[in-house]
Amino acid sequence: MADEKMGAKLSRRTFLKGLGGGAIGTAVVSTGLIKSDPAEAYSPETVGIARDKTPITLKVNGKAYRVEVEPRDTLAEVLRDQLGLTGTKIGCDRGECGACTVIINGRNMYSCSQLAVWMQGKEILTIEGLAKGDKLDPVQEAFIEHDGPQCGFCTSGQIMSGKALLMKNSKPTEAQVRRGLSGNLCRCGNYNREVESVLAAAKGR
Amino acid sequence: MAKDFSVVSKKTPRIDGYERVTGQAQYAGDVQVPGMLFARVLRSRQPHARIVDIDTSKAEKLPGVKAIIHYKNAQVAWSSGSQIVERYIFNNPVRYAGEAIAAVAATDRHIAEDALSLIEVKYEKLPYVLDVKEALKPDAPKIHPKGNLSVGEGRRGGAPIVEEWGDLEKGFKEADRIFEGTYVTKHVNNAQMERRVSLAKWDGGKLTVWASTQGISNCRTDLAKDLGLPLSKVRVICKNMGAGFGNKNQAHDFDLMAAILAKMAGQPVKVEFTREDDFVGVHGRWASAQHYKIGVKNDGTVTALEENSTTNMGGYRKGSGGLSGTDFYQAPNFKKIINPTYTNTVVAANFRAPSYPQSVFGIASILDQIAYELGINPLEMFEKNRVRLAKNKTRFSSYGLDQCIAEGAKRIGWNEKWHKPGATPGAKKHGIGMALGGYNFRQGLGAAAIRMNPDGSAHLLVGVTDIGGGAKTTMAIIAAEALGIPLSRIQVTYGDTDATPYSIGESGSRTTVFTGTAVIAAAQDVRAQIFKLAAEQLKVKPDELELKEGNVFVKSDPNQKLSLNQALNRVGADIIGRATTNPNEMKDVEGKCFSAHFAEVEVDLFSGHIKVTRYVAAHDSGTIINRLTAESQVKGGVVQGIGMALTEELLTDKLTGIPINPNYRDAKVPTHLEVPEVEVIFVDSFDPYGPFGGKVVGEPPITAAVATIANAIFNATGKRIKELPITPDKILQARQV
Repeated sequence: MADEKMGAKLSRRTFLKGLGGGAIGTAVVSTGLIKSDPAEAYSPETVGIARDKTPITLKVNGKAYRVEVEPRDTLAEVLRDQLGLTGTKIGCDRGECGACTVIINGRNMYSCSQLAVWMQGKEILTIEGLAKGDKLDPVQEAFIEHDGPQCGFCTSGQIMSGKALLMKNSKPTEAQVRRGLSGNLCRCGNYNREVESVLAAAKGR
Repeated sequence: MAKDFSVVSKKTPRIDGYERVTGQAQYAGDVQVPGMLFARVLRSRQPHARIVDIDTSKAEKLPGVKAIIHYKNAQVAWSSGSQIVERYIFNNPVRYAGEAIAAVAATDRHIAEDALSLIEVKYEKLPYVLDVKEALKPDAPKIHPKGNLSVGEGRRGGAPIVEEWGDLEKGFKEADRIFEGTYVTKHVNNAQMERRVSLAKWDGGKLTVWASTQGISNCRTDLAKDLGLPLSKVRVICKNMGAGFGNKNQAHDFDLMAAILAKMAGQPVKVEFTREDDFVGVHGRWASAQHYKIGVKNDGTVTALEENSTTNMGGYRKGSGGLSGTDFYQAPNFKKIINPTYTNTVVAANFRAPSYPQSVFGIASILDQIAYELGINPLEMFEKNRVRLAKNKTRFSSYGLDQCIAEGAKRIGWNEKWHKPGATPGAKKHGIGMALGGYNFRQGLGAAAIRMNPDGSAHLLVGVTDIGGGAKTTMAIIAAEALGIPLSRIQVTYGDTDATPYSIGESGSRTTVFTGTAVIAAAQDVRAQIFKLAAEQLKVKPDELELKEGNVFVKSDPNQKLSLNQALNRVGADIIGRATTNPNEMKDVEGKCFSAHFAEVEVDLFSGHIKVTRYVAAHDSGTIINRLTAESQVKGGVVQGIGMALTEELLTDKLTGIPINPNYRDAKVPTHLEVPEVEVIFVDSFDPYGPFGGKVVGEPPITAAVATIANAIFNATGKRIKELPITPDKILQARQV
């Protein structure tokens, strides 16, 4: 007969929460499997500590937003849940897939792996901020013309990584584009199209 | 053979491209409704255990927790979760590590997660079995009452799966040589980018579910059945969907959990899966062990083919568990026996062309091996043994496999590049390989409605969702072609069971044919009504009229014409065409799509690293409705095949029965860096039973990809790796043998 508390595993969020709330659970990391002792990581006393909210100002797509966040809230969650900017997707919520990619101070970054409280004073650009009015960004236009999206769920992230690359390097080679997008998974396997789209945008067609 | 089309068969960008590149396309997880709660699921970490008790009292006391469900208070049947035995959303005993035990709804997702850790579960551990061979032994722990061979009744869930024709004994007698071999494939997760999410809301007695589903109609039917509601009281909405590749068919346990939690809490509930939930809580592709015995003449001609295989279905029989790779080869004498088997592992079911890539790997590997042993060029071997008649008797409704082989071989430069296995000098070995694949094509039930506005623009109402294949655009193209109006004049209403008619769902490569056929019929209904109106004005008979590019004109005198606006203005309201079609014309023919794939690889014998350097995929899919999106689908299927061939596997810890790599990084799905340019060829083909001559596109691309890469690796190294994935360590091991 086994008597144990089940199911709680140390997810990235739990880990971040531990950091944010000051209650760090004991984590045992074995091959590929992240285990924790749920009783220790989640004793009733520590649960809930992280729920104090901090007011911060987020600068997103050139607008300032005043929001209240928990220390454990990620930028991706705040963008989606509080600002309604749902073009940024969350695919893995653990820094592996890139669906949540946004541009922070000119660099493409996983917004699921950035705490919202760290974002004070930073310039955040999301997929919703790329177009200038009705005029799409060349990367967006190329993604339509070259069939960059299949299911479309990774598309925002692919576009933001492509945009970040072109901001630094306006004439990338194909190898540089692949490298630049390599942090963005596409399970539809539409990699050829995404690379083609970014190259086309660079060439201005 | 290609017909002259005005909209069909072009390279057409998706009609919803703007929404997709601006972040405006709304997915189920993007929907927020007032008062919405968030829910998370607690999962078993025991592979097989009886739940003795579950104590939720501490979790209930956590501020913000609104509802908790588990086997005691929500034993609701999940009918599409199992083809044979009764399966509930929460089962007791649990049959694999990862099975759902409870779900918690709370005011935010962090609180729901916190609450999971406060639920105490008492288990009585049961003996468990993870391996198929062990599971089929008489003294193995029984996972279901009838034992571990997944025996059921009828087409769904039968076991063993047996198919035979000809006389196997005679076939082996006629053979000059007989070869045997065993090939093993592993559980690979669908790993679509969008995690499972379901938002349920009750308005009085009516349930609305924003689901991440591959088929709103089937999802609604399943929800109504499992919750005991009339169809009219269930509304399923799914506009955009972040792919599924077979594991978002029908309704899922999380849809039911959302509905029940929402009812209990009296507030809308959004159930969100974590990525780990997604890897272990739904399903992946069934693993297999395939044994072949093949009789051949000295010239390579197959005289007899016998297959004895097992498939690992995990804790429940959610999919067929079949293996169909032999479909693409002609065998006059044939028998296959497949044993779908339960084990205490993550459930296996549909993943893009569910029964194909694993078995195409097996059969195409052994045929490639036989070619080697007989001293025959593989191209000649595959060309000689390509299927000509289905099951050695029925002709195909259209056939382009020979063209696929010829055009693909030419494009890759087979004759110039093929060399004896392992023959290139140096440590980096070049290899070239090929295999044949495809998928079934048949007619079936579809429905569509078209509202033609007085100004000549049209609304197409179809129950498709857009999961990546571009069904919405495909349906608009078919409607534009069938109506005779420009594509830009068509608006598609889709993905909402309250607004759109039945559609099969984006699974099994059926939407284009099933629903597309209905769209054509609905367009004909509209045209008949327009011609009747125009005939009065033009003083001719309706059958003398034609409609093209938005103008109605007299066939014999195109100058006598009306714009649609003129023709329809007298009505002043929209006219409505509709159709429910279920053609059954394919009585003496078998429908099939075909493909021949070719790859070049580079294998580094020092590191074991394998790189696919070039890929050519030649497909016969009949008329291609949209060349742009169809090419994308082929490219993507090949990429998934590369992952399955070289890196992907869901590993289970033998000591605990727990999956140890349920995430993208450790399950190793391909990235931008592993993928070559995939060159796509569509051979000229027309099928008389498909819409505008089209067959299917979605499933076929993955079928031959795994085997093609494996055969190229053999050509590079001269070593046959018989177990997937073909990882560097296997190359290094083989090198030492």
